[in-house]
Amino acid sequence: MFFRMVEKDQIADLVRGLASEYEVVGPVEKQGRFVFAPVTGAEELRLDYDTTLLPPKRWFFPPEETIMRFRTADEEVTDDEVFAPPRVLFGLHPCDINALLLMDNVFTRDYVDPYYKARRDNTLVVGVSCTPSDTCFCNVWDTDEVHWGFDVFLTDLGDRYYASLRTVKGAELLDDYVKSSEVTEEDTAEFQRVVGEFKQAFDNDVDTTQLPVLLDAKFDSPIWDEFGEQCLSCGACSMVCPTCYCFDVTDRLAPDQKSGRRVRTWDSCQFKEFAAVAHGQNFREGRASRVKYRYYHKQWGYLSKFERVLCVGCGRCARACPSDISPVRVIEALQTGGVR
Amino acid sequence: MAPRVVVIGLASDFGCQVQMTNIEDHLLDVLGLIDLRYWQLASSGHLPDSYDVAIIEGAVTTDEHVALLERVRETAGVVIAIGACAFTGGIPALAALGEIDRHCAVVYGDTPPVAGVTRRTPGPVGSVIAVDYHVPGCPIDTDEFVRVLHRALQGLSDRPPQDPLCAVCKTMENVCFLERGQVCLGLVTRTGCGARCVTLGRPCTGCRGLSPEANLPAAAGVLESRGLDGAELVRLFDLYNAAREAVR
Repeated sequence: MFFRMVEKDQIADLVRGLASEYEVVGPVEKQGRFVFAPVTGAEELRLDYDTTLLPPKRWFFPPEETIMRFRTADEEVTDDEVFAPPRVLFGLHPCDINALLLMDNVFTRDYVDPYYKARRDNTLVVGVSCTPSDTCFCNVWDTDEVHWGFDVFLTDLGDRYYASLRTVKGAELLDDYVKSSEVTEEDTAEFQRVVGEFKQAFDNDVDTTQLPVLLDAKFDSPIWDEFGEQCLSCGACSMVCPTCYCFDVTDRLAPDQKSGRRVRTWDSCQFKEFAAVAHGQNFREGRASRVKYRYYHKQWGYLSKFERVLCVGCGRCARACPSDISPVRVIEALQTGGVR
Repeated sequence: MAPRVVVIGLASDFGCQVQMTNIEDHLLDVLGLIDLRYWQLASSGHLPDSYDVAIIEGAVTTDEHVALLERVRETAGVVIAIGACAFTGGIPALAALGEIDRHCAVVYGDTPPVAGVTRRTPGPVGSVIAVDYHVPGCPIDTDEFVRVLHRALQGLSDRPPQDPLCAVCKTMENVCFLERGQVCLGLVTRTGCGARCVTLGRPCTGCRGLSPEANLPAAAGVLESRGLDGAELVRLFDLYNAAREAVR
């Protein structure tokens, strides 16, 4: 990795340049909140955003996508091309870049998902530093730092960005489109100071001591029933989660039934049918067990396989859950034995 | 041989039958799958004596509706209820709240009905006869209607979506009405509409009925915790679901 200094007023040139080669997707305002959406110029970007309604996963793994089209008469596949235009995701926070790395483990390792993989390969990532909001707890999982998974990362030093160039492509883009300057020792010292302040800015204090052990020890704890009583089974938490990857696959026939398309849609472990199998058997009949297994999967199951928890502390689920069920509350309940 | 289909309207504004015509581009494809014998909105003929599939729109509001439905059930192998009125009682079922005779007196005075019908407490089709397939919503979604018709023609099970609306609303990147201090019934309403109303800037009014997975006590608690009136949930939900006890 190497580094360059970029004046903030150069961002307009950078976005203009990127837009000549790629679809540029970045944070834009929507009714007082933010979403990642295609932009044509830097003036539309809100790099001061706190978080977005949906995480960037949708640009790799859309809420609904056609994975193939077929004819019913001879059961032939007529189209299975993956739509993966060259794209730049501009302005991702460290949590969301870390989330993509966790998704990569699932979609690009043992079983490569061609749809996710094609988009991942065709997408450049430009990260940007952030300020913690009151629902952020990335510091708890060390996902407040990111060291790979991006092409360029811009750390805000006031009037300039300290640009970390992780890939050759990222360095080329910066070379092509903006005037940047050498990093001095003073610049790096300032970078260290800013990062240090950022680390101090988190005011949450989540005790994750022995978390996987606690999950095992408290498998039958009444806290799960309490959370079950609060849960609306609406699945909002899964939709807004940058690391939830479960999906459903259905065939949809055309009105004349002569052709159809196979569609995959985001699914949620909080839906009753999620664990339903043939003969009406359901492994997760009750709300409480569904809430419980969401946390077992994220903080135990995935950890046992990939040595990371499947959470980056972005806080989107905490904001989206109407009942205010959140990882912070669940972990607190596990530590103290009571739901607050 | 294509199954013989009839479309019957009970108490409703016929909006769902109009929605069927809105299949437009694909209407001929759909009609190609069936032998349409009677469509109340579009034909001047009479309900035939024999048919295979009955598509019913509207709520049951008279004794004559009950007699008709009993005849339909004896005749048709498959009964499909379409729209909020037929599925949950819909708007007509609002009349069942409080004293129906008093409501009728306000609207009709004390003269007997001109049409010569005997009024009864409004309810969904399922409160009178067994219904095999359901298409929820006010009005129905044309794509969903075609999907359910396909399932009926293929003999697959009736599978209206079960979960509340919030998940799909999140995928539309809508800013939650609850965050803006407004009651939205998506919390407890059956999904499947794509969260159209919220996406167009209106809170969900529950036209697709109660999600079988809805957690009503928790939802009322959610409103209370945001300084809203928990009882509002049920009051607003009555708009399309006053007869929800009778939904089967």
